[in-house]
Amino acid sequence: MKKFFSLILFSLLTFYFLLFTVIGCAKKDDVIKLGVAGPMTGDQAKMGMDFRNGAELAVIEWNEKGGVLGKKIAMVVSDDQHDPKQAVSVANKMVNEGTVGVIGHFNSSCSIPASEVYNRAGIPMITPASTNPQLTERGFDNIFRVCGRDDQQGAVAADFVINRLRLKKIAILHDKTTYGQGLANEFKKALGNKVGVVHYGGIIQGDKDFKAVLTLVKEKKPELIFFGGIYPEAGLLVKQAKELGIKAPFMSGDGVIDPKFIEIAGPSAEGTYLTFSPDPVKIPTAKVFLDSYHKKYGDHGPYSIYAYDAANIMLTAIKDVKSTEGKKITEKLHTLEFKGALGTIKFDKKGDVTVVPYVIWITKGGKFEEYK
Amino acid sequence: MIKKFIRILLLSLWFGAITFPFTGIRNAILLSISIMASLILWNTLSKGIIKREGIEIVSKRIQTFSSKIPRRILALFFIFLFLILPLFMNNYFIDIANLTGIYIILALGLNVVVGLAGLLNLGFVAFYAIGAYSYAILSTQVNFSFWASLPIVILLVGISGILLGFPALRLKGDYLAIVTLGFGEMTRLVLNNWDSVTKGPNGILNIAPPEVGSIVFREPIHYYYLILIFVILTTFAIKRINNSKIGRAWVAIREDEVAAEAMGIDTVRMKLLSFSFGAIWAGLGGVLFAAKMRFVSPESFTFFESVIILCMVILGGMGSIAGVILGAMILVLLPEALRGFEHYRMLALGAGLILMMVFKPEGILGGPRRRAELRPDDERIYMQEIEIISKPKF
Amino acid sequence: MFLQQLINGLTLGAVYALIALGYTMVYGILQLINFAHGEVYMLGAYLGIIILGFLTSIGFTAISLPLAIIITLVISMIFCSAYGMTIEKIAYKPLRNAPRLSPLISAIGVSIFLQNFVMLSQGATDRVFPPLLNAEGLTFLNARITYLQIFILIASVLMMVGLHLFIMKTKLGKAMRATAQDRKMASLLGIDIDQVISITFIIGSGLAAAAGVMVAMYYGLVNYFIGYVAGIKAFTAAVLGGIGSIPGAMLGGIILGLMEALGASYISSEYKDAFAFGLLIIILILKPEGLLGRRVGDRS
Repeated sequence: MKKFFSLILFSLLTFYFLLFTVIGCAKKDDVIKLGVAGPMTGDQAKMGMDFRNGAELAVIEWNEKGGVLGKKIAMVVSDDQHDPKQAVSVANKMVNEGTVGVIGHFNSSCSIPASEVYNRAGIPMITPASTNPQLTERGFDNIFRVCGRDDQQGAVAADFVINRLRLKKIAILHDKTTYGQGLANEFKKALGNKVGVVHYGGIIQGDKDFKAVLTLVKEKKPELIFFGGIYPEAGLLVKQAKELGIKAPFMSGDGVIDPKFIEIAGPSAEGTYLTFSPDPVKIPTAKVFLDSYHKKYGDHGPYSIYAYDAANIMLTAIKDVKSTEGKKITEKLHTLEFKGALGTIKFDKKGDVTVVPYVIWITKGGKFEEYK
Repeated sequence: MIKKFIRILLLSLWFGAITFPFTGIRNAILLSISIMASLILWNTLSKGIIKREGIEIVSKRIQTFSSKIPRRILALFFIFLFLILPLFMNNYFIDIANLTGIYIILALGLNVVVGLAGLLNLGFVAFYAIGAYSYAILSTQVNFSFWASLPIVILLVGISGILLGFPALRLKGDYLAIVTLGFGEMTRLVLNNWDSVTKGPNGILNIAPPEVGSIVFREPIHYYYLILIFVILTTFAIKRINNSKIGRAWVAIREDEVAAEAMGIDTVRMKLLSFSFGAIWAGLGGVLFAAKMRFVSPESFTFFESVIILCMVILGGMGSIAGVILGAMILVLLPEALRGFEHYRMLALGAGLILMMVFKPEGILGGPRRRAELRPDDERIYMQEIEIISKPKF
Repeated sequence: MFLQQLINGLTLGAVYALIALGYTMVYGILQLINFAHGEVYMLGAYLGIIILGFLTSIGFTAISLPLAIIITLVISMIFCSAYGMTIEKIAYKPLRNAPRLSPLISAIGVSIFLQNFVMLSQGATDRVFPPLLNAEGLTFLNARITYLQIFILIASVLMMVGLHLFIMKTKLGKAMRATAQDRKMASLLGIDIDQVISITFIIGSGLAAAAGVMVAMYYGLVNYFIGYVAGIKAFTAAVLGGIGSIPGAMLGGIILGLMEALGASYISSEYKDAFAFGLLIIILILKPEGLLGRRVGDRS
């Protein structure tokens, strides 16, 4: 009986070899492969799909114009399930499949380990959404991001609180994720000692009941509550704060800019401050993007436009250097000045965008709009 | 015949009716029809071509065939095969193979606790996490090398296994399962919240890769051989302990604790030993994982991970080493092979678990004894068991 | 502030208690931890959104909101009862004589399956419940209680009392108690065990569905993930009160809810989930029979 396994093991091995041969013999397609990696399933699948769609739109548009370097562009979508282990695995996979560049990943916790794989392979990676400063601080020259960094965002928010709102007492909450806590920390750091922080603490991402901690915050009577995190928790926090009779407004970052936030919080969302990139609706190129996006996929997510630009930048660089060699594309990306849906994008030495792309937004009349 | 058809009809309508609010009416009708079609197909097939006995005859033939090959030669053949395998694989496959290796170690470790001693541990991932984080912290804070950390980490994990074992000893069955589950979740929460040591949700970056002489492990193929060595070591160690007095004592406790105690087995010590012995391998898996990823974060150690490892043990066959290895291979490789259907693979995993429990609870390679234990109603298995026991051993 | 936390905790606890009842009833009769129970609660919450959305789209909600809520509650309970029964028939019934490990694992399988089924059919996005009553409520002594909270408290108490009466006063309830005490003996006395088990699942799932709909209304947000944590916490509540004991489940739910609310505010909000797990471990080790449970023999 026990030896029965050998047979099965053997067949498994054959399976291994077969798979290998199939991959090995696969005919060299005459396409240029652009990788897109993010959480396509799992708890953050919505964000992943949003930015996949954004990148896809860019690829479709390029293909309609005849592709790049005379070849069609094929998108290789990989699912990292918001799991660092999977992220490394799909990164290796995409490298092997000969992708020339990667748009992704979404979560900083996935982008960081995956970037090592891309760095080793010399493939450029542009993330549309990972805002953790660490990502570009490790001396890898082929890692870029079109979004801002948490420290930049925190500084803009703190500046607004100190100089525009002139507040003295603030409570800070975060969702204990790389993104949320990072943002909250940067915000707190930027506040310095000009503003008193009466409460600083985490909540649990995925939890639904925040009344306990909000009751505590209410006792300390802050003038504003800052939340580092993403929209589902933010919506619930704002809503439950209103239910508890908290009058202080909320403030949060780019992870909260999502129509769902207003849907969840309802009227309680009114007057919430947010830091985000300038309104794309006002940029003519973005308007074009948004129109065609809505026609094809419905409502856009907060990062759809970033992914769209990231893909466009990557393809432009390929077109400009007339090569699919990672090193050349990387070099080009460092000097490229790209006019896209988000405005002009240029990378600095580390791979961050040169212009701090954050302004203050406010929720008003059931919509987000730029605060003046 | 007509009665049967009506039954099938009603059954498929029932499924259609209960799923329609979720899937919409059109899909519910499609689902109904497909369930009906597959049931009818199954009914006709099971009457004619596929007979249970038929399958069993075939599997028996395969077994008799494979038992003719000497064990040692087979083992050597496989080791040789795995040694040369990476030469034909690209980095992606090697990476998957590495992951498979780590999971094999983890599953073998869990197999000691669940398969041999019969203690259901749903928080196994906690030891895995402790192992990974201990190495990460030792490497980044104290600058310990991989080889220096290894014994320290294993000691740490072994102790934490005993620490969890002590309170858990008083509990049995599902209560134990739940306490271990709680332990696993608490570990993850502590990892996520103890910022000063674990760096919280950011995880620990830049973990030192292992070094041997002047070779610094950077490429997947380096890890492949490192992990392969540990997999062989684990398999060997667990096989030895399985056949030793301790292993038999564990099995005795699993089958009947009272009787085992009456036979003079120190059940408390044995259970503790199984907990910490199982935990050691999880710790080893954790160290390898941290070294391979060079990055650890709490996201890698969720309850779901415990479930997956448990599934590996169950799928292959609890208590059977070959089975567990097979289970780990299937559960790592299959999702990779099915990447195109990523949305459906978890659905299939869930359904697979249920079907497995209902139709083949002893797993793919569960031995006849295990089968008899798991299927008390099936007399045929008892007969088989007698047949096997009465055969002379060689 | 303490009063406010009390209100927060009670609402949370009432919901836990409703889910815990399903665990405790199934455990009492089958000695099975129905891991999939949390998913039934999740299905209930989704059904609430789907049905209420439908009622709103045909303009029924505008006519009478309370009636719409009650219809939603009832339909969702009916559907979830059907789910509970189907799950039992597929995943647990064939394993009734198998060792204890097998149904537990099959339950985990059901749980994974249902989560992904909902994700595939309803999308991975958070679904938002149409806001109904919003932040309106009463204020007294600086503490606020919303109308929805009052509704949840009353509805849960009514359901729990109803269940208690059902178990204690009706013939079926008697049959359930008999089965819980000794399944073999009960079947010898002419009780249809299969039927009793089915009814247990139907009632338990119905209550979970009610909890699901109410939670969906209360928080206004549902995703396919909510079943797991809620399930574990409800299980903690059931163990705390004494698994197999119905008043115990109610008591356990309330205590757990209160503890979480107070713990999150006075100790640490980051470790909120850890309180439930820590409590669970301590209870199981020090007093495995729970607060109101009775000591049972060997459970292996």
